[in-house]
Amino acid sequence: MIRGVRARLTATIVFLVLLTATVLGLAAYFFVDTRLHQQELADADAQARFDLSVITPSRLDDPPTPEQLQAFAIAFQGRGLETIVVPAQGDPFVSTASLEGSLATIPASVRALVDHGQIAYSWQGVAGHSTLVVGGRSGGTGPAVYFLHDVTPIEQALLQLRIALAVGAIVVTLVAIVASRLVARGVLAPVDEASRAAERIAGGELSARVPVTSSDEFGQWAARFNRMADSLEETIVRLERAQTQNRRFVADVSHELRTPVSALVAEASLLAGHLDALPAEARRTGELVVHDIGRLRGLVEDLIELSRFDAAGEEIRLQSVDLNRLLRDVTAARLRDAVLELPEDRIVIETDPRRLERIIGNLLDNAREHAPGSLVVVRLRANVDQVQFAVLDRGPGVPPERLERIFDRFYMADPSRRGGSGLGLAIAAEHAALLGGRIRARNREDGGLEIEVVLPVTGSLPGRDRAENRRIDDEDR
Amino acid sequence: MESRILLVEDDPSIREVTAIGLSAAGFAVTSATDGIEGLETFRAAPFDLVLLDIMLPRMDGYEVCRQIRKNSTVPVVMLTARGDTMDVVVGLEAGADDYVRKPFDLPELIARIRAALRRAGGATDEPGELRIGGLAIDTAGRTVTRDGSDIPLTRTEFDLLTELVRHAGQVLTRDVLLDRVWGYDYLGDSRLVDVAIQRLRAKVEADPAAPGLIQTVRGAGYKAVR
Repeated sequence: MIRGVRARLTATIVFLVLLTATVLGLAAYFFVDTRLHQQELADADAQARFDLSVITPSRLDDPPTPEQLQAFAIAFQGRGLETIVVPAQGDPFVSTASLEGSLATIPASVRALVDHGQIAYSWQGVAGHSTLVVGGRSGGTGPAVYFLHDVTPIEQALLQLRIALAVGAIVVTLVAIVASRLVARGVLAPVDEASRAAERIAGGELSARVPVTSSDEFGQWAARFNRMADSLEETIVRLERAQTQNRRFVADVSHELRTPVSALVAEASLLAGHLDALPAEARRTGELVVHDIGRLRGLVEDLIELSRFDAAGEEIRLQSVDLNRLLRDVTAARLRDAVLELPEDRIVIETDPRRLERIIGNLLDNAREHAPGSLVVVRLRANVDQVQFAVLDRGPGVPPERLERIFDRFYMADPSRRGGSGLGLAIAAEHAALLGGRIRARNREDGGLEIEVVLPVTGSLPGRDRAENRRIDDEDR
Repeated sequence: MESRILLVEDDPSIREVTAIGLSAAGFAVTSATDGIEGLETFRAAPFDLVLLDIMLPRMDGYEVCRQIRKNSTVPVVMLTARGDTMDVVVGLEAGADDYVRKPFDLPELIARIRAALRRAGGATDEPGELRIGGLAIDTAGRTVTRDGSDIPLTRTEFDLLTELVRHAGQVLTRDVLLDRVWGYDYLGDSRLVDVAIQRLRAKVEADPAAPGLIQTVRGAGYKAVR
């Protein structure tokens, strides 16, 4: 946009300069051209009149003798003029051989005027020279005489003038281009500054501002731009601070909960072994306590896991992982009834098995909680550059408008159901992203939900903590 | 004979319930509430295993572990409250043999303790001597010497070394080592292996920066080189 404006400004200035230079040049040229020709003609005319009325009658009889003609020619050649004499009878006489036949090139109208005793002229080429031909009759009635003025010097002078003007025009144009660019840059500098500042703000550098260097429209505009940036920065900083506080709160709470929950979990595991020893009226309560402590533990562990993602610095530990085996093992541990659809060939990729286990485990938990009792299928497929595994259930699915949100934290597709923490799928999505993969959900055509994870096969993953890995495995990388 | 376990844990509830659970499982448990007390208790009487919390008053678990390691190869299992990766790695580098993440089930904790004690028992090793690259390994006496001088190794480090040397020239994956040395039959933490290898190299390699004895096989695991 700015580039366009600058180009248009430059083009306009250059065009105007070029137009002015052309008009001035042409006018100057025509003025000089006309003046030079008029001058030459006036001189030649005066000369011819004098020569025809005074000089030639005394030199040429009618008809002139060859000797007279010869002498006549030599005399005028002494003044730099070639001559053609046309007697009433006989052949025309030319002062040099190269002019033989040149008489015919003089326009007939000129020759007719001369025959009638008038003085006439013609600008023309004669024997390869630019020539002014002036003719008349000697003494008004004698032989017709044509004086040939060589005007090559005038034409050369005009040619030089044309070259000088053309060179001048080019120089002026170049100067105009340079000057106009400088002017355009100067005029558009504030626009450029603002454009750069806006780009930097968009790139996250919220403190970027436009310098206010003048009090004109640009200056006011820059000030307003800066005010807008100020309020934008303020809002973003406030939001970020709120989000940081929010995350720190979650992290602090979950860490504070960890110690009492650890005690509860240990106590519950001990209690679980002695439920049978409880009196009958306390046994059911004891079972519920054990069960609910398990739920509490899941929630706190999910919260801690999520706050670790927020703190960044997550470490990825790559290993060759046999996906068939991993899926089989995790499924056996988490949802024994699920049906495995595995390819015959073993699929081995470089990935982080603990994260993968968390993803699969959470997908299975999700299926168990939201499609209780339904047939769950764990499917693995692979092609050249990626592997896909999916957990498919026959539950109620998710309304299409809510599909995208099921990976949000604490999002429950069905608010009436109080199963898990609402964090499992969010955690799965975070792990998948860390492994360079994608996670997506869709409703199956014949009912139920399918959640699919796509992982790259290559070993290069985004965001892995290289320093950490190097520190542990030394020459392993 | 009952195995004697030192439990160093500052939270009274966790300390008490853990002690109850371990006693019920047949261990003789002595409790300490902070790092200094833990270290003093350890020095006052012999123990077969130390359970060590990380976040302790007065002296943290890492430092207690480093102090214990100065003159003991007793198995140390860390109780790590934070799951932070650095937590685990720093603990292992301080010389811990294994870790259990809080919150833990008591059966889970007991299983880890039994695995560590089983390895430490070492009675199953048939007498013999293994030799590799200037090292002499006495499998019955559980000692390693180089040119006649003793190299002190923890039990985990010793087991790891003998496992690798018994299969010299063969690549052992981290999973296999976790299974055979740490007793994880399913998905242990491969950092246990990596950190133990690092500590082992520091002790047995002539130049730990350019290991010639225990080599990393990229993407596969480790192998001992004859």
